[in-house]
Amino acid sequence: MKVQTSFIVKEYLRPKMLPSTWCGGCGLGIIMGAIAQAVHFKGLDKDNVAMVSGIGCTGRMSGYMDFNTIHTTHGRAPAFATGLKMARPEMTVLTVMGDGDAMSIGGNHLIHAMRRNIGMVAIVVNNSVYGLTGGQTSPTTPIGGHTTTAQSGSFERPMNLEALARTAGAAFYARATVNHTASLTKLIERALDVSGFALVEIISNCHVLFGKMNQMAEASTMIAAMDEDTWRTNPTLLRRAHLPIRLTSPESPSAPVHALTEMDDVEDESRTWRGVIFERKGSVDLSKRYYNMLGRIREQQRAAEEMV
Amino acid sequence: MAQVTPGIYEVQVDKNFCKACGLCVAWCPQDVLAEDDERYPFALHLEKCINCKLCERHCPDFAIEIIAPSEVLMIEDILAEGA
Ligand SMILES: Cc1ncc(C[n+]2csc(CCOP(=O)(O)OP(=O)(O)O)c2C)c(N)n1
Ligand code: SF4
Ligand code: SF4
Ligand code: SF4
Ligand SMILES: [Mg+2]
Repeated sequence: MKVQTSFIVKEYLRPKMLPSTWCGGCGLGIIMGAIAQAVHFKGLDKDNVAMVSGIGCTGRMSGYMDFNTIHTTHGRAPAFATGLKMARPEMTVLTVMGDGDAMSIGGNHLIHAMRRNIGMVAIVVNNSVYGLTGGQTSPTTPIGGHTTTAQSGSFERPMNLEALARTAGAAFYARATVNHTASLTKLIERALDVSGFALVEIISNCHVLFGKMNQMAEASTMIAAMDEDTWRTNPTLLRRAHLPIRLTSPESPSAPVHALTEMDDVEDESRTWRGVIFERKGSVDLSKRYYNMLGRIREQQRAAEEMV
Repeated sequence: MAQVTPGIYEVQVDKNFCKACGLCVAWCPQDVLAEDDERYPFALHLEKCINCKLCERHCPDFAIEIIAPSEVLMIEDILAEGA
């Protein structure tokens, strides 16, 4: 099922702000369409949905989508979103960040939002570089990936966000790509069902910067590569998604690497998994636990007053 | 599933939104779409369109839309309600 394009524009976007300033072919627009559809299929009232974004090309999304939106400071989207969720626990909170936004400058905020298991859907758009500022190396630039600050190829070990999320205490982790558009929508829908911190990492294309420096200058080439470099999680294993059995190795690419010399033969095992990576059963959102606790304390106080 | 009949759909491209990125053309499984001199998409083989909407899904700029004839739309409405 696909929501009619004109309906998405009319209902979930701000047409006056379009077309976006994003480069032609940038996956961010595909992600925006998927979010709109996921919210639609979940039957959520858009006035009860908030989108909080940081800074970067990704951060601009909150300007285009017709929810309650906040465009916050670089790396601080999870902090603003935490405040919002605590004050308005009935709201569905979508926190949208780039890879640099979420893992470089905002790493600390992200870790603590995951540790608290605060109820939000965190969308991390992983395009392997700092897009807005000109294609510098980011924490997810794969080994061998050429960027403006790693002209001979990055030799740093990339961040394993999945392992971090698992240890920090996130409730749910899924990885999607802008190539597999139907499952992209589906995975955001699944994340919307979670009580607690649900992270959806979306592999996207910055073809004009990262792609251009890695023989994938065309958006279509770079997006097509995501099919070769990722591997769908086995649906039978999904039922055991709460067990730590499919930890992606740190050397696994979280970006298309088939064009990179160091990783010429990407073997199946070294492909990056996409789909639901883990889901912690019985997770309860922090805001819900907080208000439950508050209710209990008030009840005890009332009982104590009645005794007097 | 609704019956798919090729050739009864209409392809609409909004040039105010389209950035001529070529994604819709690259993803059309039926080779319906082609690029013009300015790389904007147009329906070269409209008769082959099966309304799969892969072009819509891969368009980052909400610039392409497949319009079905009204009776098909009705079926879709009914299906949507049942879903
Ligand atoms: C405090 C602060 N430091 C640095 C910057 C410059 N800056 C803006 S966006 C950005 C990185 C964006 O990269 P990413 O989060 O991956 O987003 P993308 O553009 O790739 O979507 C940086 C370093 C800033 N705006 N504010
Ligand atoms: S610079 Fe990269 S991430 Fe930013 S809009 Fe262009 S393609 Fe997208
Ligand atoms: S709906 Fe499918 S067949 Fe028709 S133009 Fe779009 S991609 Fe091609
Ligand atoms: S995918 Fe969209 S923006 Fe790109 S060429 Fe096709 S209609 Fe235009
Ligand atoms: Mg980035």
